[in-house]
Amino acid sequence: MAAASSAYAGFSMRPWRSSRSQKLRKSSALSVSAQQAEVEQTETKLETESTTTKQPGMTTPRPAEKQVNVQSKNMGKEYGGQWLSSTTRHVRIFAAYIDPETCEFDQTQMDKLTLILDPTDEFVWTDETCTKVYSYFQELVDHYEGAPLTEYTLRLIGSDIEHYIRKLLFQGEIKYNMDARVLNFSMGKPRVGFSYDGQLPDAY
Amino acid sequence: MQGRLSAWLVKHAIIHRSLGFDYQGIETLQIKPEDWHSIAVILYVYGYNYLRSQCAYDVAPGGLLASVYHLTRIEYGVDQPEEVCIKVFASRRNPRIPSVFWVWKSVDFQERESYDMLGISYDNHPRLKRILMPESWIGWPLRKDYISPNFYEIQDAH
Repeated sequence: MAAASSAYAGFSMRPWRSSRSQKLRKSSALSVSAQQAEVEQTETKLETESTTTKQPGMTTPRPAEKQVNVQSKNMGKEYGGQWLSSTTRHVRIFAAYIDPETCEFDQTQMDKLTLILDPTDEFVWTDETCTKVYSYFQELVDHYEGAPLTEYTLRLIGSDIEHYIRKLLFQGEIKYNMDARVLNFSMGKPRVGFSYDGQLPDAY
Repeated sequence: MQGRLSAWLVKHAIIHRSLGFDYQGIETLQIKPEDWHSIAVILYVYGYNYLRSQCAYDVAPGGLLASVYHLTRIEYGVDQPEEVCIKVFASRRNPRIPSVFWVWKSVDFQERESYDMLGISYDNHPRLKRILMPESWIGWPLRKDYISPNFYEIQDAH
């Protein structure tokens, strides 16, 4: 499991750990070094080009281009099976490129962050709400630019996205999926009248 | 009332301060960080061959950090071994204390834990790195002014 193995990753003494403290770099047309890009995907839909309508104040997500013939790299036992990740129930962030269809995990492309949103389908997601989360993810990555690429930073980003999802839930924009396999209302039990305008329905 | 070890140290003109006795009757001394590595060797030669435990704590918010060493003399046929407790206070800005790894080996992991939790860096420790928290953690968790980051899974997970 990703969460368990990344906890053990911190204790190994492999020599290539020293090359992992890279900085997150912003993509720009002038830089010749590797550009920072993000790939967002859910388990049910493929990420398409960003044809979403831009809402005022929201940054558009800049997904990485699709790559063909992606192979899983650096995942074997000789690399210790380590990867930089932050995993919670709804948000999984990996510092790698993961192919959307085949789920090949390319660990060598550490300049990209992949976000997997709600793989257990606890909420009902629409295109619009997904795009909101992706643009928030984009904002966070731009905000954290320059920070060291460690699991601590990825966990901070993941926690911020989880708080954002909770905010969306309280505003009523997403709701619990009642056909989920595990229905335990992990972001709070449903309450009556929380997002109403304060007027309770009359009791007859 | 001064303990036996304190009287002996005074006789040999070693600068220390006696902090009295704790509830079990173990005398407690305070040693300065710059003298600590030489006094550790002196105590080892005196006979304290077993470091029972090393711990550290934060004295006060904005105050000093303390590193505590509990030493005993292990020998045959003794019912009540001699014990002493040494406290070394380090400033919060740049907490550096000489490591006594080369005197008592068992202090290895314990000093790493004090480093991990409070940020006291031990000079000449062979592998001083975090032992309990993940390697990339920022901050010293057991300090009194540490604020835990707002990680989702810690606060709200069901």
